[in-house]
Amino acid sequence: MSSESLNLTLRIWRQDGPNAKGGFRDYKLNGVSTHMSFLEMLDVLNEQLIEAGEESVAFDHDCREGICGACSLMIDGKAHGPDQATTTCQLHMRRFHDGDTITIEPWRASAFPVLRDLVVDRSAFDRIIQAGGYVSVNTGNAPDGNAIPVPGTVQETAMDAAACIGCGACVAACKNASAMLFVSAKVSQLAVLPQGKAERGERVLSMVAQMDEEGFGHCTNTSECEAACPAEISVDNIARLNREYVRASLVSGK
Amino acid sequence: MDVLCKILSIPATLLAKVPGIGPIVKVCCTSVGQKILMALTGLSLCGFLVAHLAGNLNLFAGEEAFNGYAEKLHSLGPLLAMAETGLFGMFVLHIGLAVSTTAMSRRARTNQYEEKNSKQQGFILPNGGASNLMLVTGLIIFAYLVLHIIDMKLNLRGFESGDNKFQLVRNVLRNPMNGVFYVVAILALGVHLTHGVTSACQTLGISHPRWNKLIRILGVLFAWKIAIGFISLVVWAYATI
Repeated sequence: MSSESLNLTLRIWRQDGPNAKGGFRDYKLNGVSTHMSFLEMLDVLNEQLIEAGEESVAFDHDCREGICGACSLMIDGKAHGPDQATTTCQLHMRRFHDGDTITIEPWRASAFPVLRDLVVDRSAFDRIIQAGGYVSVNTGNAPDGNAIPVPGTVQETAMDAAACIGCGACVAACKNASAMLFVSAKVSQLAVLPQGKAERGERVLSMVAQMDEEGFGHCTNTSECEAACPAEISVDNIARLNREYVRASLVSGK
Repeated sequence: MDVLCKILSIPATLLAKVPGIGPIVKVCCTSVGQKILMALTGLSLCGFLVAHLAGNLNLFAGEEAFNGYAEKLHSLGPLLAMAETGLFGMFVLHIGLAVSTTAMSRRARTNQYEEKNSKQQGFILPNGGASNLMLVTGLIIFAYLVLHIIDMKLNLRGFESGDNKFQLVRNVLRNPMNGVFYVVAILALGVHLTHGVTSACQTLGISHPRWNKLIRILGVLFAWKIAIGFISLVVWAYATI
């Protein structure tokens, strides 16, 4: 790397509120250290804007270590930027070059309305979880260790699905704005475990119904979600959701 | 498109009220249910393609063999009519569901990205591969299907046939406009099936890390075997005198 500082042009989506008309604005940012994270770079921009008496750019962030799922930017047309298995907060400026123009947009989906600038309302995901993404069977006191045998491979499958941080990159990257990867991860993590199996039929039916209600698109198996997912959730989960769905609609309770 | 969707959904709305089948119709109306139906009808239509190609390959065996096959097929009478009705129903359902799911997705993203790029690598076709070409290839296949029925089944455009299916097929294919369009449409079919077969398996839950690669390879092989098979018939029409 020849230079440790970058001069950048940022094309950022600015929108005053949910119903306001938004548009792109260009900002020049000079002397960006390649050691900065992407969000730190935006912090620097915001300091510059505040000093100039302008409105700072609103963007979502929280833990800044890739586990909370709050950060959510479409960077040069890619959810969470160019790197695989990375959230925006884990993306570093060394990935960019001096003189680059970086386009920064919010997630775009009808179910994720823009609240302001780059911040979208992802409460649709919360409502999908509320529809059935939990175990409500009372299990009593903590059982003895190994009282319920769970094979290692099953634990791994559940854990891999549970790695979903609910950031919404799958929806953002999908050409249909489908939430299938998210929903399938939340269905899978419980459906494969004994504790979650009791309610597996009801769960998948209610969560799919809520997903449709929120206005997400359908899954057309492009696997774009898998490529964009910072937690590397596999589309195998979508196949499992489909299996669960067929099973539930044929033989489940009601 | 939304209006078309409303019209298309009328039978489903009515069926959902019928006791007995109501619950299952409701299940089929969700996004996942629609995709499952789409996969089932798509795979059934693939079965038809196999039968259709197998029958038509009789063209290579000569005039007598092909006319014999055609006669036998038509002598089935009511059975053939039933099969054709079923096939027609399958097409209507497949296309209707395509319209419905496409409309669902349009509604799901009304504001488009200024810039959108794929994070996947290694596509032969541009722009994310065959999965992004389903609608356009589907439309080409549909247009082809209409023309195909007009010419081959009904012969509405009056091609010279001498009341002989063998001659009719050859004369239809030897019309240069038809020849080109048939090849283009069959290539579109190949692309459509390249994504369609594997995608249908995934939608039906037929997936396992151990088998996915094989399913993918078999799907693509199937697609292009069918396509090359049909294209060979067009080539045949020009190669024989």
